[in-house]
Amino acid sequence: MLYNQGHTPMPIANWARYGLAATLATAAGGVLIYRRKPGINHDAAPARSARHRRRFGDYRVTGATVTIRATPEQIRACWQGNAQLWPELEYLPFPEGNQPDLLLPPSELRDMASRPLLTRIVAEREDELVAWRSEGDGHADMHGRLRFRDNGAKGTAVEVIMAVRPHHFASAWKTEAMMAEALELGLLRDLRRLRMLIETGEIATARMRPDAA
Amino acid sequence: MRAATFQGKGDIDVRQMPDPAIVNPRDCIIEVTSTAICGSDLHLYDGVIPGVEKDDILGHEFMGRVVAVGKESTLEVGQRVVVPFTIFCGQCFHCSEQRYSNCDNSCPVEDQEVAEKAFGHPMAGMFGYSHLTGGFAGGQAEYVRIPYSDVVPLVVPEDIPDERLLFLSDILPTGWMAALNAEIAPGDTIAVWGCGPVGLFTILSAFQQKAGRVIAIDGVKGRLDMAEQLGAEPVNFHETDILDALKQMTGGIGPDAVIDAVGMEAHGIAIDNMADRVKQAVGIGQDRAHVLRQAIMACRKGGRVSVPGVYGGKADLFPLGAMMQKGLQLRTGQTHVRRYTAELLDLIERDVIDPSFLISHRLPLDEAATGYRNFRDQQDEWIKVVMHP
Ligand SMILES: NC(=O)c1ccc[n+]([C@@H]2O[C@H](COP(=O)([O-])OP(=O)(O)OC[C@H]3O[C@@H](n4cnc5c(N)ncnc54)[C@H](O)[C@@H]3O)[C@@H](O)[C@H]2O)c1
Ligand SMILES: [Zn+2]
Ligand SMILES: [Zn+2]
Repeated sequence: MLYNQGHTPMPIANWARYGLAATLATAAGGVLIYRRKPGINHDAAPARSARHRRRFGDYRVTGATVTIRATPEQIRACWQGNAQLWPELEYLPFPEGNQPDLLLPPSELRDMASRPLLTRIVAEREDELVAWRSEGDGHADMHGRLRFRDNGAKGTAVEVIMAVRPHHFASAWKTEAMMAEALELGLLRDLRRLRMLIETGEIATARMRPDAA
Repeated sequence: MRAATFQGKGDIDVRQMPDPAIVNPRDCIIEVTSTAICGSDLHLYDGVIPGVEKDDILGHEFMGRVVAVGKESTLEVGQRVVVPFTIFCGQCFHCSEQRYSNCDNSCPVEDQEVAEKAFGHPMAGMFGYSHLTGGFAGGQAEYVRIPYSDVVPLVVPEDIPDERLLFLSDILPTGWMAALNAEIAPGDTIAVWGCGPVGLFTILSAFQQKAGRVIAIDGVKGRLDMAEQLGAEPVNFHETDILDALKQMTGGIGPDAVIDAVGMEAHGIAIDNMADRVKQAVGIGQDRAHVLRQAIMACRKGGRVSVPGVYGGKADLFPLGAMMQKGLQLRTGQTHVRRYTAELLDLIERDVIDPSFLISHRLPLDEAATGYRNFRDQQDEWIKVVMHP
């Protein structure tokens, strides 16, 4: 798997290359020393802002945050109950019809698995958190959660975090970095769509006609 | 329908486009009765604002009659409305504080990312003003789809002609907000750069807001004459050293507030401006910030800098030291149009102001290309163009 590959040493043919290797090794060592330097605590970075945030073992972790002028209860009700939202979503899973603890990943996520990828709600704390993880033998392992935090007069801060580990490389997911980037952007778009629907009752579009592209 | 479309830099063509229809429940459709060309449209025309695509319908100053309503619209078919150029939802955090041009919800999500990369945050939607602001079809057309029609349009009385109301859509509130941002105290001396439509309405607003003196700076004789008619003291930058003149005219103190109503396409052969011109021409996101630099240098210590002029990129040689060392305040932004329209409509109804004095040319929409060209190239006579579809 690409995302797990270590370095394959290149055959070294001349001193110039030794020189280059030595430079790289020094740089890498420097990074390690910098990272280990007491006084820099990478876990102290707020939320997902740590510079090495995207890698936790084999998992890629991404997320997004918006503030919505509504209560956690209203936000959950829209996410889990407003069918107008679901076809618009790119990465945020949404409820599966009559089984309340199952979430369906939207089409973008389904593309990365050749078999249906069901996620099941594994933890719920009223007004605070919903967490889910994928189950079965889908082609990706996925954990996610939606957390609500009071943001004073501005409303409720809604944060989604998703950790994804693909089992095999699906063709649509060219590289791990692209996957993480697409996920992060898509999740932000999804939260913004959710906010639009809750605050304005509709999802903004510049289309001139309902039938226009 | 017929609409003025962007076909490339300096190329506007009136073409047949699909009629708009109701898409979202809060929409309405209006039939445009009057529409104007704005100095901001010239930034698109000149290709210095990115994100404009071929066949985009331009125009953000327009008014008309409601011809169709969505099921959540509070308007009625037949009502006469002026439409603010900033599209806003009325419900987000920013709208709740009447900062309508900062609305979080009105720009479609797919179009938010470019502005977010460029400016740190996405922008609100705007009519006919590039895909940085949503790619909404504009008002230089026979019909326009208006989102959030329960909050955006201003219903106007039947007995006042279009020409006195049309500029409530943008430039009159823009001049008003520019003056408010200058925090004018009674008797203050204000210097305004640019005597285009925005500058002229800024001068008018500054006097309404109790300025004692307004010094108006431009390089176009016809426009300086209009500023003088409004009561301002005209100064021609082609003939005058502006910093010197402003010091002398204010007894060495400098203006209490300075207002840049020119923006990113400043004219003049000053060295900084020539350098900016080259950088802007090669498309590296450079604004021609000559006027803003000059205004900051001219402003008195502890004064205010108000910037209605549009900027979209970056500026070199920005006099940050002068800002800091003189303790200046800077306020700017796209206009929160709807926040000021009721107050300004009242002034129009009571005949305190009549914005129609600005109009120099009236054209059928089909002659939009002529209107754009002359508004840019013959500024002495072409002060403001109003078109009728
Ligand atoms: N903030 C907003 O919401 C908002 C709304 C409308 C327009 N605008 C902006 O306001 C600015 C003015 O709009 P307008 O319609 O009056 O445009 P305009 O192009 O008609 O007028 C600009 C004027 O500035 C003058 N000028 C150019 N260089 C100058 C210099 N070095 N010193 C002094 N004057 C100079 C020009 O001669 C011209 O008269 C534009 O940047 C426009 O985009 C902003
Ligand atoms: Zn304008
Ligand atoms: Zn809003």
